[in-house]
Amino acid sequence: MSTIAERRSGAGGRLSARAPAPSDETPAVDSGVEISRGRALWRTIRRKPLGAASATLIAVLVLTAIFADVLAPYDPLDADPTIRLSRPSAAHPFGTDDIGRDVLSRVIYGSRISLWVGLLAVGIGTAAGMIIGLACGYWEGRLDILLQRVMDAIQAIPGLVLALAIVAILKPSTTNAMLAIAVVIIPGNSRIVRGAVLSAKQNRYVEAAEAIGCRQPRILLSHILPNVTAPILVIASIWLGNAILIEATLSFLGVGTQPPTPSWGLMLSSTGRAFMEQAPWLAIFPGLAISLAVLAFNLFGDTLRDAWDPKLRKS
Amino acid sequence: MYKYVIRRLLLAIPVLLMSSLIVFGLMRVMPGDALIALMGESGNINAKELAKLRADLGLDRPYHEQYLLWLWQMVTFNPGHSIFTNEPIPVALKKAIPVTLELAAIALVLGLLIAVPIGVLSATRQDKPEDYAGRVVAVSGLSIPDFWLGTLVITFAAIWFQWIPPIGYASLWDDPLRNLQQFLLPAAVLGFRLSSATMRMTRSTVLEVLREDYVRTAWAKGLAGRIVVYKHALKNALIPVVTIVGGQLGVLLAGTFVVETIFALPGMGRLTVEAILYRDYPIVQTNVMLVAATLVTLNLIVDLTYAWLDPRIRYR
Repeated sequence: MSTIAERRSGAGGRLSARAPAPSDETPAVDSGVEISRGRALWRTIRRKPLGAASATLIAVLVLTAIFADVLAPYDPLDADPTIRLSRPSAAHPFGTDDIGRDVLSRVIYGSRISLWVGLLAVGIGTAAGMIIGLACGYWEGRLDILLQRVMDAIQAIPGLVLALAIVAILKPSTTNAMLAIAVVIIPGNSRIVRGAVLSAKQNRYVEAAEAIGCRQPRILLSHILPNVTAPILVIASIWLGNAILIEATLSFLGVGTQPPTPSWGLMLSSTGRAFMEQAPWLAIFPGLAISLAVLAFNLFGDTLRDAWDPKLRKS
Repeated sequence: MYKYVIRRLLLAIPVLLMSSLIVFGLMRVMPGDALIALMGESGNINAKELAKLRADLGLDRPYHEQYLLWLWQMVTFNPGHSIFTNEPIPVALKKAIPVTLELAAIALVLGLLIAVPIGVLSATRQDKPEDYAGRVVAVSGLSIPDFWLGTLVITFAAIWFQWIPPIGYASLWDDPLRNLQQFLLPAAVLGFRLSSATMRMTRSTVLEVLREDYVRTAWAKGLAGRIVVYKHALKNALIPVVTIVGGQLGVLLAGTFVVETIFALPGMGRLTVEAILYRDYPIVQTNVMLVAATLVTLNLIVDLTYAWLDPRIRYR
């Protein structure tokens, strides 16, 4: 029978302070101290200043996206040709673009597109990857072989190339770019979840649940799923940065967000490149916004990994 | 070894077939059908011409026939014509592939030239300012988008040095100097992106190796620091680095799509991006399949090389 500590670790989403990640076979019973995921994360953030900096940056980004209407000094679509290509000034801290729109306001509103696309794409990709990974890892057999070969085949195509091909079929738009990014995310996530499920189902409490006649959906959802949420969340946070980068790249190539919607990648390709010598600020600020957002999510993903699932470092 | 080779080959074939099915399927789920979508956007065309075009492209046949025909065309290197330019795709590829190969090769070399020395410096000067600077460079490489870096490089080269890469592609054989001028900046941008993961890996493996007994022995013998690091430590530290470089091939191929577009290099990436914008689906499906096949083959070669270098891998 499983011990109380094992059951808590399995179903409650808690971590052992000394024992490794919850998916590990080692029971957490003798670890002495158990800490919640929140506390584990807080402890890592306090130890690593880069983790704290990335969390702050993400908070700023999220608040900027939510309160864009309040923070933006001008309407991002309002054009004033009399002030076209104005240098950064007190009135327009990031300057204006070729038709006199305020670049700061467009960068602020652009955070909405980036975060929205990133969150939805990662949400859809993670959910689909999780379902496939759970099914493959739990049932194994032919279903596993078939689905994993499909995942291999999708992974054989580089993510950006696959996203480009999907957007080519569905027509360029923000929604389609988001769907394309979600498809790119699925194989990697499904593999990680599959691995975690294969490991988690070796635990004695799963065996015990099977022995007392628990139904398979209950075993999957109540006993196995809580054990694989740490790797899922870690990978999702790392993917958020990549999703923002792919969205910006697709928009830059003209197959993502379409004008006049303010998107960081689109701002760079439409005006940033065309006027880069006369008005370098048009290229500098949107690019800086993309880099900082991607950097913040990459560093935060690293911090989450260190706090919740150090084993993922190897993969 | 030969059993391992056969096993890996047998695993690669279904992956390739599945990839081809995905690429083919993607092109066929286009809302409506490829031609109608295309003609609807490009202007009027009468029903007779449309039927002829459809027959020429084999779109009037059942899906399984279309798939088998396309597969045969791919295997025999005869994947048809571009819808827009009517140029045979092999002719377009013959012009584009050398450009991409050259860009990828220079980028790979530059990436290693950036990554290995900085990685080694970072490791040997652990927790010193040089180490922090190296790590910042590595993290920047992962976060700065290629297209932004490319745009900035072009802009500031023009503003500060009044220099822009020569316009109009010159092949390496016709005009090597002009060709190098055209490829240096894009390859550096792509190489910088590639170098970040390699740099991080080099740092951690060199750090690991520097703590090994044989390195301590080398120090104890009184060997010069440079010899200990470069002759003794680096040799062993580079094995896992090769693994990372192998894993970066997908990033390299995808990176060429962006960098070629920014620097107007007429390679595979630019050809595909333009085909996507014009919805020239024969080119899109051929190029995407070619990229997938290249990646599967390269990964296979990398795997076989590891198995050859490290016999333990064959028995896993």
